[in-house]
Amino acid sequence: MTWHRERWNADHSLPIGVTKRAQVGDLVRAGDIIAAGATLAGALRVPGARRLGLSPSDFDRELRVRVGSDVVARTVLARVGRRFARSVTAPIDGRLLHVTVEGDVYIAPIVDRWSVRATLDGVVSRSDDAVVEIEGEAWCLQGAAAYGPDAIGELTLGVDGPNADLAPTRIDVRLAGRIIVGGARMSAEVITRAHACGIAGLVAGGVPPAGLRVVYGDAVTASGSPSRDDRPTVLCLMGFGSAGLPPAVYEPFAALAGARAAIHTTSARLFVFSTADIGRAEMPSPDVVMGEGPAAYAPADRPVADADQGDGDREEQPQADEELTQSPSDRNSAER
Amino acid sequence: MTISTGTKSPVEQTTVTLGRSLRVALLHGREEASRRAVAQLALASGTEIVARVRATDPRSFVEAAQALRDAKPDVVIIQGGAKDQAALAELLEALRLGCAAQRPAPRIFALVDDGVAQAIRPRADPFQFETFATGIEMVEALRDLRRAGNESTELRDALIEDAARALAATNRTAALAIDVTERSTSLVLVRADGRLEAAHLVPLGLGMGADHVVVRASLDNVRRWLPWPIDAPALLERVFSRPRRPGDLPTTEAVLLEMALAREAIAHALRDVAEAGHDVPAMRSAPAILVTGRVASLPKPGQSLLVLVDGLEPTAVTTVFREPDDGGAERIGMVVPVTTRKSAKIRLVRASGRSTVRVEPRSFGLVQIGDDVDVAVNGAGIRGHGRSGELGVLIDARGRPLSLPERDGERIPAVARWHAALDAATP
Repeated sequence: MTWHRERWNADHSLPIGVTKRAQVGDLVRAGDIIAAGATLAGALRVPGARRLGLSPSDFDRELRVRVGSDVVARTVLARVGRRFARSVTAPIDGRLLHVTVEGDVYIAPIVDRWSVRATLDGVVSRSDDAVVEIEGEAWCLQGAAAYGPDAIGELTLGVDGPNADLAPTRIDVRLAGRIIVGGARMSAEVITRAHACGIAGLVAGGVPPAGLRVVYGDAVTASGSPSRDDRPTVLCLMGFGSAGLPPAVYEPFAALAGARAAIHTTSARLFVFSTADIGRAEMPSPDVVMGEGPAAYAPADRPVADADQGDGDREEQPQADEELTQSPSDRNSAER
Repeated sequence: MTISTGTKSPVEQTTVTLGRSLRVALLHGREEASRRAVAQLALASGTEIVARVRATDPRSFVEAAQALRDAKPDVVIIQGGAKDQAALAELLEALRLGCAAQRPAPRIFALVDDGVAQAIRPRADPFQFETFATGIEMVEALRDLRRAGNESTELRDALIEDAARALAATNRTAALAIDVTERSTSLVLVRADGRLEAAHLVPLGLGMGADHVVVRASLDNVRRWLPWPIDAPALLERVFSRPRRPGDLPTTEAVLLEMALAREAIAHALRDVAEAGHDVPAMRSAPAILVTGRVASLPKPGQSLLVLVDGLEPTAVTTVFREPDDGGAERIGMVVPVTTRKSAKIRLVRASGRSTVRVEPRSFGLVQIGDDVDVAVNGAGIRGHGRSGELGVLIDARGRPLSLPERDGERIPAVARWHAALDAATP
């Protein structure tokens, strides 16, 4: 395990019901909303092509509402004929979700809204209904496993040394929205308290698996459990239990403190967006490579950080939901 | 792995792997037979089951589509009859909604009759839709995908099946092969007539799959096999940390923990195999059993034997072999399971004479009878014959199903006794 600064890819899986999403080539920053959509309940199947007397292949041509659009009850979805017109109308308020091979349509009521935020500064390299992938440059630390949803916030050191445990008393609401770097161990109490205080995410050398079970349930495994629901975000860097951070890993945290950062839980990576020179780039930690136990913390000359060190103070607030630009396709559907 | 083709022939080197991890979603009809059929296909092909959706699944269309999207399957296996045609078509629509944008797109493997295939094929667009006449063909196709186009790669599960066939052919009896690796657990039964039932469960093993053993079998079930008291958090930490310490030297505790995990991996594999409709009683009564993988590589043969007896719970006289990955096969012992409520006698007959052994209820121990001799057993409701191996004859009168005392004060001494009986408590 070591710090690397290079170009990375981060994919963001999207739930069903996407309304808007960033397009390929768009520039995004970590924390920006890159996709938004609706949470849908049980869908109704409405006969389409059969009702209109059309073949399924012709039905698409007669659709007046784009698939993925929101509709209100009695909206005409498709219509044929002039004098003796036949039409398909929406039976409920909801979303036109899907058109079957037979030319029937599914309409699902909207019960909630969701959004997905970027975890990397960069360019959208892939965008479809299932995933938005971003490619960008950042400092990165590959962890062992991550739990919970993606997190974005200002990187903050929560301990005084790499072998220290993060105490629950050091967590309070003033740290809300930040990613806290713990030391060797992070207890379940810290995780739950941090979540209650609005901490964006937690990073530590090790987390007791029993604590993870308390927070995430008995089905939790050593390979992590990325999720989208409202849960704490935890990144285990070294493994489980207690694992002191090697100096090569811990010291750059001090240099990068205050910078914007993101935890991408699917890949168990911590991205830090800073131009700071953290010195030990590309150099693997000998302690980790040799597979030895936790290394004693030896104070070293603090690496010089660039002017970007104060990045956190100038940090822009994450983009709010209502600021998401409507995609061209949605403008088209609205114009209809 | 080295495969010897004979004492005089040159040794052929080949690459044996578990192959590419293949994620499969199972869509099946409402009948129980259909559920079992797809489960057997998935287990036989060594794929990881990431989603199961029944034709009568209570989930809504959107929920089913979301579940399939989250599962990210490489292959979707479909099985059902004519009655399930409409429901399967609906599930394929859910698959289209959920996975149409997935890259690479999932492939659909269908084991249905021609009429159903013709009816549902259009609904599979834009996915690649392939039909198979038999389950064996589908299993081969799934294994080809796991080989990822590398024909020279020998899949470990295929090799285990070959070993079980060889054992059955040699003994002219049914044979069972049990393989437990870092991330897989296999049970392969070959009957005397050559019919084969195979299940390769992934991920379920002693390294990367160890945490899955705990999740599926529960922590308490793993802990009950340890002959010392340990609290749940400490045990969980050891299990979660196992995959990251491959180079650790085997300590006594590490070996005993590995044995505990292996027992539960085998026991859980048996549960899955039973759910899939395989013949578990036939597996438990196989006259010859081969143990391979990590269980066979335990430092002592008694440890391999103890794991097998506790995990499988044989119900008939059995000869047990073990074959570590880096060594040849050896016959390690003969198991005589006895279920009795009172003191009983069993007769052991061999070429050099006969002897009588008194068996107490819930007793467990070895009878030294000489290395590798043919032994016939009779009495106390058990009858059969086999060959004693390096360890001799293990008489297991603990009863079936094997139940362990709940309280630590009773359970730990009992488990320690069983370890001591097979000299399995030290590395």
